[in-house]
Amino acid sequence: MKGLILKKDNLVPLLRKIRKGGKLVAPVQNRHGDTLFEVIDDLDRQQLDLEHQAQSSLKPFFFPQNDPLATYNCAEDYSFEPVVSAEPTVYFGLRSCDLTAVLYMDVIFSQNGADTLYFARRKEAILISLGCNQPFAHCFCNNTGSGPFLEYGFDLQFTDLGDSFYVEADRARGEELLERWSYFFTPADEDDRKKQYQAVLEARSNFRRTVHVDPAVKRLAADPDLQPVWRELSDRCQDCGGCAYICPTCTCFTIVDQPLAETHGIRLRQWDSCTFSGFTRMAGGHNPVNHAEQAIRRRFLHKLKIDVEKHGRPSCVGCGRCVDICFGGVDMIRFIAMVNDLKLPAEEK
Amino acid sequence: MAGLATTFGSGAMTNSIEEIGRADVILVIGSNTTEAHPQVARRIFSALDRGSRLIVIDPRRTALARRADIHLQHRPGTDIPLLNCLMRLILDDNLHDDVFIEHRTENFNELRDMLYRLDPTEKAAVANVPPAQLKKAAELYGRANKAVICYCLGITQHICGTDNVQTIANLAMLTGNVEKEDTGVDPLRGQNNVQGACDMGALPGVFPGYQAVSNEAVRAEFSGAWGRDLPAEPGLTILDMTHGGGKTVKGMFIMGENPLLSDPTLEKVRNTLENLEFLAVSDIFPTETAELAHVVFPAASFAEKTGTFTNSERRVQMVRRAIEPIGECRTDSDIICALARRLGYEMNYESSAEIMEEIALLTPVYGGMYHDRLESSWGLQWPCFNRSHPGTVFLHKYNFARGRGCFVPAAHQMPGEQPDEEYPFLLMTGRVYHHYHTGAMTRAGNILNRESPEALLEINPVDAESLTLASGEMLNLATRRGTIKIRALISEQVAPGMLYTSFHFTEAPINLLTNAASDPKAKCPEYKICAAQLEKIN
Repeated sequence: MKGLILKKDNLVPLLRKIRKGGKLVAPVQNRHGDTLFEVIDDLDRQQLDLEHQAQSSLKPFFFPQNDPLATYNCAEDYSFEPVVSAEPTVYFGLRSCDLTAVLYMDVIFSQNGADTLYFARRKEAILISLGCNQPFAHCFCNNTGSGPFLEYGFDLQFTDLGDSFYVEADRARGEELLERWSYFFTPADEDDRKKQYQAVLEARSNFRRTVHVDPAVKRLAADPDLQPVWRELSDRCQDCGGCAYICPTCTCFTIVDQPLAETHGIRLRQWDSCTFSGFTRMAGGHNPVNHAEQAIRRRFLHKLKIDVEKHGRPSCVGCGRCVDICFGGVDMIRFIAMVNDLKLPAEEK
Repeated sequence: MAGLATTFGSGAMTNSIEEIGRADVILVIGSNTTEAHPQVARRIFSALDRGSRLIVIDPRRTALARRADIHLQHRPGTDIPLLNCLMRLILDDNLHDDVFIEHRTENFNELRDMLYRLDPTEKAAVANVPPAQLKKAAELYGRANKAVICYCLGITQHICGTDNVQTIANLAMLTGNVEKEDTGVDPLRGQNNVQGACDMGALPGVFPGYQAVSNEAVRAEFSGAWGRDLPAEPGLTILDMTHGGGKTVKGMFIMGENPLLSDPTLEKVRNTLENLEFLAVSDIFPTETAELAHVVFPAASFAEKTGTFTNSERRVQMVRRAIEPIGECRTDSDIICALARRLGYEMNYESSAEIMEEIALLTPVYGGMYHDRLESSWGLQWPCFNRSHPGTVFLHKYNFARGRGCFVPAAHQMPGEQPDEEYPFLLMTGRVYHHYHTGAMTRAGNILNRESPEALLEINPVDAESLTLASGEMLNLATRRGTIKIRALISEQVAPGMLYTSFHFTEAPINLLTNAASDPKAKCPEYKICAAQLEKIN
């Protein structure tokens, strides 16, 4: 499909129209200067922020930290009612890495039968991404194949051309949206298309960090001895689980019953992390993964080795959020650098 | 607190947390920083990444100790001989800072004479540390351009806690590692607002801002503001109250504290609380202490109130109400004001900002702290004397608060209790990463409680073998004060003869066992050392 042009002045009016058809979620800067994805209730009051990377990803919208699965009542009239809630929602302003992460979650939550709750929300979602002309401080999506612009996977993709956005659709729902609100858009001409292409090229040269993902993935595939790496990282790890919680592709969960009174309560699905010792500890106290080293190992190998074997690509999308969040510097960029710096006996010859 | 107040003139962390990341040498003593103060530990990690060196002095091989250039795994309760020995070695190598000592300190001769009299080899033996390692540590710290010392409850929770702190201060002054940026002595405060509580005079002998109740001018000022005569005598310390048997005080109002799990020798605490004529408890969740209360006030959580917290680096920061108080709960200030009114004292504030204005008026170091100034920033660090004062990044710049820093030499003191034939083990207590204090909050959190569901007693593999003990076995752990059941964890974190566990768990209330011996000056109990015996439960 051909590209369209949306004048920047028309963005808020368009979003206002879109919001009338359902929920709108977009990055918003709050009064403390933090940018987070939020449900937009009032476009005039909430400060849309397309300049900074949102601190959180879209994960909590499809897979909330505390997700009610069912309510239970064990009084005389025993009951157990599943909870499913979803409404049509347009997500605007997510970045290519965030979108790639959602596509990855689609794969994870469709294993062993589609996850009812996840797909209820997913089917109601329209994803409008915004390519990154200027990648952020810790971004390396160019090396994980998840940005700074995407060629497919989005419903709509916006490219910032200065005073307007270049808009392209990849999925039918995106095209429907463009048709429904067609009077906001004008067709892109050859010049616009060239400008868009230039923006994509320039963005690729604007990365501030060089992170050699592919060499690390290749090295990991050969099962090198990484004991010193695990040791160093596990000593630095403070076991807070922040990396897993902030990661847009970490989807481990646990299920708990939370009593609200003696006779009733809710069953919750809660975020969990494979780096927690309780994640694998068995009822008798035995833990097959006993050391912090092994927990760290599992997390990093899952992202860069096991998922490569299973799905053909790493499940790190290069968003760099784990770099920002970690107290001890146990992040993907450090890990990749350590793997690449490792002197391997086979290569010394 | 008392220790640093005597030597430097002010009892708080001299640095900002950020400065720790820029020191060349960091000495951590009596602090399991990675578990108890992760935000400080991250600065230590960044310093190490830059090439700084780390010395850890701790009886346990903690995660931080494993990363240290030198780990002195000394015998608990021997901090003073060990630090004195370090100072002697620094003197012998001529690594002390003559000019600093001459211009900025007093009473050096007394310290020097004491150091020259002691025998380093003997002190190393007392501390059970190889002399060669001590020598290396002395050289590392002594030669540092910029060195900081971080300490925590491993220093203060001893019978000689105040002397321990003064000895640390001696070491810093001896080498001139105070008064300058990126150098200093940093007591790490554990709770988000324990510094603030002390600042506000939640100590027996002072009004807000560490102004002594014995000072007549100060008392007159507070009397004027509050419209009541105020006592000139210091109040009681916590153990005087919770171990008083209901005789020292007849009624108590306990806010956000759970002495029935956190104070030593719990039998005495229970006896006291049960004998009170009246007990009121205010907390956000039910606690062991609240079960004994005549009245319980449901308090609002941090998310339901507006006000300030003061953290370890003296930084006063705003918290803002995010949600309305749930159910019948009310904010702490609401509860206090309503209670005061019922007792016949008209205490009315329209907002916490008004309370802050009173604090600024009466507390010189908080003189420039107003909500409107704090609202738009990451907070201000005291001392901050007036509206235009920018706050203070590190203390004692060019001059100690008391004028000159005072060397206060201290000698080794035996702990209140030592292992013997009947109680052969030395038991230390502390915290685990996943729980906060008595677990009133964290044990209600599903994931946190799953991560650390029960108390574990760390025991060295050598001892475990001689007791034919397997990890996970249940034990009877006894001291002269009582017995509890606890699960064993075989771990090389503790040396042979040592045991370690935490006090978070009501199922294994370790403070039934701990010793109420306390520091004569600060009255801080000796949680870190008592003699214990073990028995397998068959």
